[in-house]
Amino acid sequence: MKTLFRNSLKTGIVFGIITVFLFLIGFTGTAANLLADLLHNESAGLFLGLTPLMLNTAIFLGLIGLWAGVSGASREQDIPGDPFGAAALGGAIAGVAHGLPVGAAVWLIGGLNEQGVAMSTYLAELLPAAVHQFLLGLAPMTAGIFYLLFLTTAGAAGGLLNRVLGRGSRKTRAAIRNRLRESVESLPVLQSLRKSTAGRYAVYGVLLAGLLLLPLVAGQYWNYTIGTVGIYVLLGLGLNIVVGLAGLLDLGYVAFFAIGAYAMALLTAPTPHHLMWNFWLVIPIGIVLAAVTGILLGAPVLRMRGDYLAIVTLGFGEIIRILSKSDDLSDFTGGPRGVPAVAPPDFFGLPINNAIGFVYLIFLAVLLVIFVTNRLQNSRVGRAWEAMREDETVSRAMGINTLLQKLLAFAIGAAFAGLGGALFASRNQFTGPEDFNLMVSINVVAVVIVGGMGSIPGVIAGALVLKGLPEMLRQLEDYRVMVFGALLVVMMLWRPAGLIPSSRRKMEIGRDAGLVETAEEGRGK
Amino acid sequence: MPIAKGSARRVKPYQIIQTITGIAFTLYLLWRLYTVLIGSPSYGADTWARFIIAGSILGSVYALIAIGYTLVYGILRMINFAHGDIMMIGAFGGYFTLEATKNIPVGGTTFSESFPFLAILAAFLVGVSIAALSGYFLEKIAYRPLRGAPRLVPLISAIGASIFLENAAQLLFGAQRRDYANPTVLTRGEGWTLSINGANVILPYTGVLTVVLSVLLMIALYLLVMRTRLGRSMRAVAENKQVAALMGIDVDGVISRTFIISGALAGAAGVMWGIHLGLVYHFVGFIPGIKAFTAAVLGGIGSVPGAMLGGLFLGLVESLGPAVLGISFQLKDVIAFGILVLVLIFRPTGIVGEVLTEEKV
Repeated sequence: MKTLFRNSLKTGIVFGIITVFLFLIGFTGTAANLLADLLHNESAGLFLGLTPLMLNTAIFLGLIGLWAGVSGASREQDIPGDPFGAAALGGAIAGVAHGLPVGAAVWLIGGLNEQGVAMSTYLAELLPAAVHQFLLGLAPMTAGIFYLLFLTTAGAAGGLLNRVLGRGSRKTRAAIRNRLRESVESLPVLQSLRKSTAGRYAVYGVLLAGLLLLPLVAGQYWNYTIGTVGIYVLLGLGLNIVVGLAGLLDLGYVAFFAIGAYAMALLTAPTPHHLMWNFWLVIPIGIVLAAVTGILLGAPVLRMRGDYLAIVTLGFGEIIRILSKSDDLSDFTGGPRGVPAVAPPDFFGLPINNAIGFVYLIFLAVLLVIFVTNRLQNSRVGRAWEAMREDETVSRAMGINTLLQKLLAFAIGAAFAGLGGALFASRNQFTGPEDFNLMVSINVVAVVIVGGMGSIPGVIAGALVLKGLPEMLRQLEDYRVMVFGALLVVMMLWRPAGLIPSSRRKMEIGRDAGLVETAEEGRGK
Repeated sequence: MPIAKGSARRVKPYQIIQTITGIAFTLYLLWRLYTVLIGSPSYGADTWARFIIAGSILGSVYALIAIGYTLVYGILRMINFAHGDIMMIGAFGGYFTLEATKNIPVGGTTFSESFPFLAILAAFLVGVSIAALSGYFLEKIAYRPLRGAPRLVPLISAIGASIFLENAAQLLFGAQRRDYANPTVLTRGEGWTLSINGANVILPYTGVLTVVLSVLLMIALYLLVMRTRLGRSMRAVAENKQVAALMGIDVDGVISRTFIISGALAGAAGVMWGIHLGLVYHFVGFIPGIKAFTAAVLGGIGSVPGAMLGGLFLGLVESLGPAVLGISFQLKDVIAFGILVLVLIFRPTGIVGEVLTEEKV
């Protein structure tokens, strides 16, 4: 019983802190707006004296309260005689612990707001209207007490819900999950698909056909988004070779992207050099230039240890950006203003400058890169990379020239980024230094890690989740980057091998929690 | 016989290239130094003095942050990527404290004007404690569950934590840059006036405060690491976690405390940053964080005196570098990163440099 109290209390406190944080960053307001879109109740009248948005705020908090109750109760083991009483008690305790910080915060903030303190100068989201909405129009103290009672009730209800859903404790949940997975996997359709090659190719064919038809039905905006996702797939696949296969963490990957983009921009645009070369001529130049830079950068730094490499590449990425931005080089790079009017590609004399054409072009590039990656991964080179990632010393003893292989991985990864950059510049018809900040590198790392290092479907899934989903939830734009960061941490804690782990990796480390040993051991000195 | 001798010490091509680059770079640097100082002096002694003052102030802040990197790296062999953001949290803590003292009326004026040193002390105390607390929770939430995982895993977790903290701060406090409300005694830009070369050079009060405080903190830290029981356990854990545990040391506790100490130092650095340079915003810790990491590497990561030296050195180089090399000040970050790359290539063990065994690497 003691553990019941302690764990429920802990859960509740964590939920309380998170809820107060969500309020402070203005997420409760955003959630209320989202709910209004979902429930179509924006223009509804007053309900119990609450405006629709206040009602939605309360609904959102009630849902969080339920969740707190569910997880507060599930921390306790099942008590045979009285499952519901224990669950409700656990949920209620979590609810009280949840409600106390929220109630206190509401009381404090509401009180300050009433006295006319302009809190929004310090906490940007605490505008009087937002506070009023969160207080449901009540007096600060009443609102605080209301939230305490409300969240306690919600917690208790969540505790009961936990048992009603039959989820019970963690053990029971795990058992149910396993049963579910087994029953899905033993479906005859899946079984036969998995066994026959033809079936698998049929699935691929259907997917591909769907993909090829997609741009024709999607509008201008969605085609643009699909193109962005495609470019991130390109970048992700390139970095996947460096990070996922060869195990070298590169935080300056954006540098190669920038080189591809600047090659395209400077060689095809009228300013600043007036070269106006053809798109198809510049694409290979961009790729080669990026690859050569990769080798030049890689040669001195690749003998370093893994985390040193991360910082050096990060520094290199920043150097490229600062240089492209600096006034000293602005005659050559266009400086802070960037390069406008980058030429679009042409298809036998026909310029491709609409979104649909570009989507197909990017698809083509993605398919090409998938093909190359796939062939590489299953070749001698790919095996050497993976061996090197697992244990560099052993792989060297096996006769692998690790320096050469690392350089190769770096160069090929850079080449893909160069291709992506060239396409990016040509599509946007513009290139400037701010397109190449550190966040791009981090985004690509996140795509690879969240998707699953070393796995091609994983990278595609990662790009869809990280670049596609946020476009669908435009209202959450402000929170995107923060969620990115949290996602990286959560992925590392929860699923370090990614959403779709590579099969070889799963095979290797199925026994020890899906963690992957990476090649960090460089030269000691 | 000559063949045997040759194969025993075969010189690899990249080593030759490295040596040649190194010599060429040193010669270039000497030539630039000669040109700037003796050949055709572009600045007078007063300007150089200004560069040196600015550089040593910046350097002592870098040194404080770098110590945090080095302590954590020494024990966990991981780069605490979110360390710069802990500094940002400390800077915000100090900012809010100073704003609060500015708004408390005391006998016709405000608290921060009546008791300026108490206000500054409060800012440091709040900034340091908040940063120390954040360091503790950062380790507990984002790093501890990953103990024993491959090294890429906690590094990525640290990057994630860094992004999270930066953007959470932006959402909480807004994106605008905020001006630290120093008490009038410590107005930025005011200080003792020195006369050098016929020109007035200002030695700012805030800068002197920064340097003195960081030196005191560094001495305190050195005594802590070398003289106390906690320091001894920290060194033991850094040497070998398993054996330390067998000797009855609470390894997790020591790691927690290391994060608290390094967080506290970063917090102090954050408040100094605010008091001396003035501007605080959500991204303020990022660049100093990277620079301080450079400083830690420069001094030899894992070594506390190395981090101090490295920080000072980097601050000076950054301040003097553009003038010596004759490039624009926009590119001073390029110099810092360039040094990082050069040090890692030519002397990965840093200035002081413990020799890393294969196991530690």
